[in-house]
Amino acid sequence: MMLNRIFITLCAVFTLSLSSAAIAEDRMAQAEQLVASLVERIQTTVEQDPTPAEIRAETDLIIDEFFDYNLVARFAAGQAWRSATKDEKAAYKKAFREVLLSLAETQFEYFRNLEYTAQGVTPKGEKLVVARGMIKDTTGKLPDTVVAWRISTRPGKPIKIIDVEVENISMLITQQQENTAIIRQNGGKFSALIDALEKMAEDIKNGEMTTE
Amino acid sequence: MSIWARFSFIFLALIIAGCAETPPDVVSDSRDPFENANRKVFEFNMAVDDVVLEPVAKGYRQLPDDVQTSLSNFGTWTGYPSTAVNSTLQGKFENAALATIHFLMNSLTLGFADLTEDDDDPETEDFGQTLAYWNVPEGGYVVMPLLGPGTVRSHTGFVVDAITNPLGFIPVEGASAVQTASTPVNVVTFRGNNFDQINDVKYNAIDPYAKTRSLYFQYREGQIVGLNPEGVSSSDKAFDEFFEEDE
Repeated sequence: MMLNRIFITLCAVFTLSLSSAAIAEDRMAQAEQLVASLVERIQTTVEQDPTPAEIRAETDLIIDEFFDYNLVARFAAGQAWRSATKDEKAAYKKAFREVLLSLAETQFEYFRNLEYTAQGVTPKGEKLVVARGMIKDTTGKLPDTVVAWRISTRPGKPIKIIDVEVENISMLITQQQENTAIIRQNGGKFSALIDALEKMAEDIKNGEMTTE
Repeated sequence: MSIWARFSFIFLALIIAGCAETPPDVVSDSRDPFENANRKVFEFNMAVDDVVLEPVAKGYRQLPDDVQTSLSNFGTWTGYPSTAVNSTLQGKFENAALATIHFLMNSLTLGFADLTEDDDDPETEDFGQTLAYWNVPEGGYVVMPLLGPGTVRSHTGFVVDAITNPLGFIPVEGASAVQTASTPVNVVTFRGNNFDQINDVKYNAIDPYAKTRSLYFQYREGQIVGLNPEGVSSSDKAFDEFFEEDE
């Protein structure tokens, strides 16, 4: 009887560990596929020589299809998100998205000569997966760059990208720390961040953002 | 002690002595206790960049690719002795050996050409990283005039590296001059090789100071812990905390 119980328990543990390993394998495969699909989508778009309006429309779709925009926006807002009003949150998300779309319009060309090679996937607990890859500039002007995609795999939620990390620099954390500084420098006013983002989007549209 | 070592030592002493702490409720990052003073120095550095560095870097980018590569190689070469010493101090003997071999081989061309034909370049190691390896606390974030962002620990490391660079002790005529020349060459090649990225922060960030600080800390953390091929990064903790709070 005792042996039976031990055997049943061992079988249950073995089955559970097998199924959790299968789930982990599954979400890693899905995460890798998501990045591959995104890269393919961007390359296809670039090859069609889109107009700025088309880039904007396509980026809008890409954000929703491949990225967890709500989570990204919330993370980027930092601790101030909690104290923001419902209206402020909505205005911030709109302004932040506008900045992303405007940036895409002006910087989409950067993707033209880039090649991406997937290098592997690593699970990070149950909620995150990191997919790594290498970006190569086919013109040889830029050095090869290691990139890591942080992908949310929260149980019961769609698998979506939440961050891109280049050489240990997280785009989302950089944005969060900049946003936090703006709010702190303006006496903790969340509205200051919204104003700054709206102005930034406007500047990009007017061609006032430059690297020269 | 070279002129650069003296210069950096004096500035470090002045800055650390002169930095009035910013009240904690005003600082935008707890790692930056001297934020108000740092922002003023950052503005000064940006003004210098406008007038001197950016135009010079623009000129550097007009040079033929081979010349740019040679200048970059020279800057890298002058850093190998420090890398060898600091790698040894951190127990990274393979990297120390690699840096020594690269230094000796490329000495034939004063570092302007890379004769090693080795894809496996040594990782740059400085005394700030050695201090981190020895668990010396990082100290506050300090923006130094002309030298830019860092922490008390990294700036201290910079000064120690400048004073103790083995190049300064090589009993060969001109070695000291090579060391002195390396600093401006390194500054210009760094600015030129990262021209678009730096200008993007300078002109396109909403708060260039905060963005620079964030980039500095993340990049430096990557240098100190090393870029782990398994995808572990210094950002992981922030995401873990976010998901915990988000429950």
